[in-house]
Amino acid sequence: MLQEEAEDGILTKKVRKVAIVISTGSYMREAPTTVLRLAEKLLERDIEVNIWAFEEAVTLTNREQVEHSEPPSLRKVIGDKHAYVGKFIDQLLRAGLHTSKLDWVTCILCAQERGVEHHQMNGVIVGTLGDLWKFVRSADQVIAIPAYR
Amino acid sequence: MARYLIVASRDMTEYSNGPSLSDLSENLRTEGADVFFFLIENGVLSARKDSREAIRLSELSGPGIRVMADDVSCRARGIDRLHPGIALSSMDELADAISEGFGNIYWY
Repeated sequence: MLQEEAEDGILTKKVRKVAIVISTGSYMREAPTTVLRLAEKLLERDIEVNIWAFEEAVTLTNREQVEHSEPPSLRKVIGDKHAYVGKFIDQLLRAGLHTSKLDWVTCILCAQERGVEHHQMNGVIVGTLGDLWKFVRSADQVIAIPAYR
Repeated sequence: MARYLIVASRDMTEYSNGPSLSDLSENLRTEGADVFFFLIENGVLSARKDSREAIRLSELSGPGIRVMADDVSCRARGIDRLHPGIALSSMDELADAISEGFGNIYWY
């Protein structure tokens, strides 16, 4: 939980664990990119990050995602290949082997509804609302990314 | 002192409740809270020089309220001129604010 530590005689609160809840899927909005950018920075600060993905966000970790070629007219501007978000999640999960821990849980019901339950990438946990409750209860900070349409 | 982190990721003029973020920040400061107002994604449209919401945010910026705009989001939208009082910031500053214990986080 949130701890107070003395630094030069001043008590400051130190965050050790952050839970992030996201429901936005690939190519819908910028929220997944923002969450990944934020998670990376938190992990760099030795903060444990727990991400709970539900609704369309369960497709972010679909291991069947592949890069595709960009149109020739755009290649000089944005490169040859169009990256997919799962690639960056995979990198963050692997980084957690050597830095602070990142847990990524996808909602089992949402994954089943979308046919991606058995297509989750390595390192991702298919979980339940019980995992969300544990994330929230153990977190110093909870960030809920709103889904708006 | 209560510390609030408000993250605006939507264009504050797109939805009718957008401007309420500014009102919320002002009321929190009146109550003695410390507010860190961070614009990201389409939220940075409200940092653009002379935009209506930027003028309002600029008026709020000062003791008790810091208003910041994410650099990556600004660059992605070609925004290189921010309204005075709104500082160009980065994901590092947002992560610092979270890690320093802004106990109340509201993500819009």
